[in-house]
Amino acid sequence: MSKNNRGRREDLSWAVRKDGRALWTINANPRSAVYGESLRKFSGVEYRRWDPSRSKLGAGMIRTKRDPALLLPFEGETILYLGAGHGTSVSHLHDHLCGQDNHQGGRLVCVDLAPRCLRDLTHLANSRPGLIPVLGDARKFTAWGVLIPRKVSWLFQDVSQAGQVEIFIKAANRFLANDGIGLLSLKAASERWTGDDEAQVFANAQIALEQSGLIVEEAIDLAGFEDNHMLFAVRKPSDN
Amino acid sequence: MWLWYDWRAAAIADDNGNIVDEEIWDGHYPEHAIIERLQIIARGGMIAEAEVLAERFPEATVLVHGDQQLPDADWPLPDDEAQAAADAAAISMSKLGVAMAAGDPDKRLEYLVRASDEMRASHLTMEARLVEWVVLFLPEARFGGDRSALGKTVSESDDLQMLAKKLDVELPPVGPSKSEWKALREFGEGVSTFRGRLDRLENAVRTLATEHLPSNSMLIGPLLAARLCVEAHGRMRLARLPSGTVQVLGAEKAFFNHLKTGAPPPKHGHIFMHPWVSRSPKWIRGKISRTLASKISIAAKIDAFEGTPWTEADVELVENRIEEIRTTFPTPQSRLQR
Repeated sequence: MSKNNRGRREDLSWAVRKDGRALWTINANPRSAVYGESLRKFSGVEYRRWDPSRSKLGAGMIRTKRDPALLLPFEGETILYLGAGHGTSVSHLHDHLCGQDNHQGGRLVCVDLAPRCLRDLTHLANSRPGLIPVLGDARKFTAWGVLIPRKVSWLFQDVSQAGQVEIFIKAANRFLANDGIGLLSLKAASERWTGDDEAQVFANAQIALEQSGLIVEEAIDLAGFEDNHMLFAVRKPSDN
Repeated sequence: MWLWYDWRAAAIADDNGNIVDEEIWDGHYPEHAIIERLQIIARGGMIAEAEVLAERFPEATVLVHGDQQLPDADWPLPDDEAQAAADAAAISMSKLGVAMAAGDPDKRLEYLVRASDEMRASHLTMEARLVEWVVLFLPEARFGGDRSALGKTVSESDDLQMLAKKLDVELPPVGPSKSEWKALREFGEGVSTFRGRLDRLENAVRTLATEHLPSNSMLIGPLLAARLCVEAHGRMRLARLPSGTVQVLGAEKAFFNHLKTGAPPPKHGHIFMHPWVSRSPKWIRGKISRTLASKISIAAKIDAFEGTPWTEADVELVENRIEEIRTTFPTPQSRLQR
């Protein structure tokens, strides 16, 4: 690393720090790593390294052309994460949203269909209050929708099944508050093969998002971290 | 009129969005009761409070929280305390769901089949290695078709001389050193214990498959039935697959090569393992596997929807049909005729 890295160090939130090309979050469960990431102290506070090649949200924050902090929710809010996987992104989001012993008072509802993934998430939930794993289908809102009484300000979806865009639009209508941020990680290979090339799949997705009344703020290409993936950052317009 | 409800409360609002009546669960939120309520909602049912209100206001439209049709109103949403109780219940519920996954026979079958595949692969390599190893020291030894007993024979021999005697060959002038022989003998021991483990594993597959897929096990044998079920990612999915897909399950490489390059399509996937296909002459294997695959599809539907399982009489009908194909095409058709 160059000797003067200090100038590129930047705090994106109370818990998220960008250090050159690396992202770090304050560890909400000190002295333990979730997925084998490195731990490091910055002036006495333990941070976990956020590996962008294992987290699409992390990759998006590195690749975005805007301020990466715009992709994060506000700490202490209720957010919804569809397709939580093994909890890589979820653990870092929890660091930011809830913090140690959930002193920020956040609620992170994460839904996944696979019992194998939920097993990891329930382990994570034991040590991280504020994290609520739900075993359910991201498409079937009624089964778990009652756990989210009020609309959320931040929604992430990474489900890699056919019809991702439709699921996202429905979820945004149902759960996203006005002026809330939605992030859709679109995997081109998961869509049904229509003969279009990848660029066309992404363009169609963008059109579909815009037609449903969402504002597409940025389409972030994750090439290099996750191939054939695009992260759409959308905003739900306010009512007026 | 609208009847709104969630896991804890129900309320009636008039068309202007004013709350007319509400019923709130006055429990202390015991976890098992919340789980029960969340499960009712997941099934699309109504909680007790909602039923009370539905009786009082039969004209109201009943909708669960979050339904797009519901108007905006000051619904009695859970307070922080109630929400915390619901969160704890949700975590327990997902733990329960994860634990219940072990009861899923599809999952269990998958592990059994995959484990027996791996065990068979390593058993075969170890056995082949053992044969080569023994033949190095006893060049005259011949095992013919049956090498399965070799592991046991080696492990029961005290030295190379004894092994040579058992295999009825002459002892060559050079042999292994003491430590080398010990290693060889233990390797032979390993091969024979592996064989026993493999048999037990496959028996476990047979037991579970006959229970989980009775019709298909009767038709094509439990091991092949289990394999098809695992390849199809579950009994229900196997029942929903078109029989053309069942026919080429396991021949994905050839199939996609066919789609990509126009090479001839595969005639059979895993069902080639069945003697009706593999022991038939080449020119009717395609016809037989097509017929067999359609019968497997029927049997899979019986298994998945738990109908009356097939008996030997039903399988005999299929066998007659296969025999009919064999007698109709005793010789290959010439390409010109087609």
